Amino acid sequence: MGRILIRVNEEQVSEPIASQVIIEYKVPMVILSAHINSKGGEILVEIPDDTEDKIVEALRKRGVTVSVPKSIEVDSEKCFSCGSCVALCPVEAISLTSDSSVQFDKEKCLGSTCSICVDACPARAIKAVKPNGNGSQNNREKKS
Amino acid sequence: MIYSRSAFSICIKGKATTLSNEGKTRTVEEINAKIRKGDAQVLTAEEMKKLVESSGVEVAFKEVDVVTTGTFGAMCSSGAVINLGHSDPPIKIDHAWINDVEVCHPGAAVDIFIGATNMSEKQPFEYGGGHVIGDLVAGKEVELRATAYGTDCYPRTQVKTTLTKDDLNQFCLLNFRNGYQRYNCAVNSSDETIYTYMSKLLPRFRNATYSGAGELNPLMNDPDYETMGMGTRIFLGGGQGYIIGEGTQHSPKNLSGTLMVKGDAKKMTPEYLQGAAFTKYGTSLYVGLGVPIPILNMGLAKKTAIRDSEIFTDIVDYSVPRRDRPKFGQVSYKELKSGSITINGKKVRVSSLSSLKMAKKVSQTLKSWIEEGTFTLTSPVERLPTSTVFKSMRQTEEIPFVVSVMHPAVTCTEDEEIRAIAERIVTKSVNHIVVVDATGKLRGIVTSWDITRAMAEGKKALSDIESRNVITAKPDEPLEVASKRLAQHNISALPVVDIERKVLGIVTSEDVAKLLGRRY
Repeated sequence: MGRILIRVNEEQVSEPIASQVIIEYKVPMVILSAHINSKGGEILVEIPDDTEDKIVEALRKRGVTVSVPKSIEVDSEKCFSCGSCVALCPVEAISLTSDSSVQFDKEKCLGSTCSICVDACPARAIKAVKPNGNGSQNNREKKS
Repeated sequence: MIYSRSAFSICIKGKATTLSNEGKTRTVEEINAKIRKGDAQVLTAEEMKKLVESSGVEVAFKEVDVVTTGTFGAMCSSGAVINLGHSDPPIKIDHAWINDVEVCHPGAAVDIFIGATNMSEKQPFEYGGGHVIGDLVAGKEVELRATAYGTDCYPRTQVKTTLTKDDLNQFCLLNFRNGYQRYNCAVNSSDETIYTYMSKLLPRFRNATYSGAGELNPLMNDPDYETMGMGTRIFLGGGQGYIIGEGTQHSPKNLSGTLMVKGDAKKMTPEYLQGAAFTKYGTSLYVGLGVPIPILNMGLAKKTAIRDSEIFTDIVDYSVPRRDRPKFGQVSYKELKSGSITINGKKVRVSSLSSLKMAKKVSQTLKSWIEEGTFTLTSPVERLPTSTVFKSMRQTEEIPFVVSVMHPAVTCTEDEEIRAIAERIVTKSVNHIVVVDATGKLRGIVTSWDITRAMAEGKKALSDIESRNVITAKPDEPLEVASKRLAQHNISALPVVDIERKVLGIVTSEDVAKLLGRRY
């Protein structure tokens, strides 16, 4: 299963774009997370790998932005297993092993669309990284 | 000798007298003799609890000489004293920075104190004194900048150089409050995520955090401080250090004792001293600290068997920015370590901020040092006090709270016409009308600007123009906090509500300006 992030703008938010694509291509989409209001939003969905190309194309044709979410990486050298990330994770992708080490399940992780754990890591061991593996995101807090 | 006898006599008072080991003691000297011969029986606190559970206190006392404890957590009141040596020509440092972190000059010319929470001027909130200490311990090169006013004996006014720990005369870790016996469990009852020294707290009790090693904590295993005090040799930052007295805010009666410690940071290891960054709070230092507890008497064998289920702490609401924050009952470290606790009947997931994995590693490493004979025990020359009281600050100036400036809100209900509301704005001469339901609970807010826009756009219904997502204030919040919220959301008034969202009044930016403007 592959993950894609669909972004819709203010005009597109009231259109049944995802439903149309599902019906037309008969492809199941699992919604992993959705943040939508009247101004637009983003939906993280999971689709079968072999359908990814045609689904991305179909969605883009309809004018929505489609991207592959960044993945969350944990630097095991920096992590000292305090565990402050554990209870924050909405999908229980982070847990403590029997020897109190922090364990990270990449399969369960929602990736950069969530990122709730990133700024809670005192060791700054958690980063959102582009899928190709380079260009790590600077997680420095924006000062406002 | 004298010390251990007196400790024992205190401890057996009121205890059962049928135990066959009663009256028997061992001394620190006897234990050290065994350590030198390689005969000492050393257990980690974790192992001691299991032994007492399976074989009883009597057997544990007979068999065990030392119990090693450990903790590894963010300890903000940590720092390091360094001596740089003299430059040529010499400088009497006035201001100094290491890796852009301001360090202070509490003494003469070239002595400096690096505080763990001082933040980098270039990377605030991400890099600070804790990281400088960690980098130095790791052998990394750091950059020193310093300025001075220049004197006849110290003419130099500027210096810039790079340094490693090998270039320093002294590099002494000096932590004035470490190893808190237990700490609060933190939650957030408000509607917004808050960032605290207890880390990120999600709104409406969506998570909880706690700190401390519970049953592995040094002070928890010797709660009467029989064996600890000035001169107790300890594991500190991966090296050897000493307790030099009670830590600041030491509060033994509240089971919240603390330690002041020092040690040679040149001999410490980066694994046990790590800089940390807490988003929107600041920087700190994670410190590994372990204290060996000599099992001098049966009482200590029993005390070191304490379990997480017997150690309780308060659940505290960190969204209330006051000294005395509301509490939601107590919780045991056993529950905290289980990963979830119950608050008001609701399950809340809880995470630790300190590392249990590293705490265990501290106690295991200390155990191996004693077994190898590279670490011997000391008797304190003065025990930690057991009756110190932690007082609040004496304040000669009162600060204003929301309740002291708020005034009654002009309200309306959702079924009213815009015209009626417009009239009320004029007659009451206000800019904000708070929308309430029949029971007085907050529904929304309408401003004179919203009314003007409604007129211009020909809108008739209140529901088309009112703001539903209302930013509010609580009556017991400091006015400064409410004022920050006004600025943060770029708004001009906050309805003041109670915990059930019943409207108590309103505070406007004019109220704030009148009061704070006069003061600052």
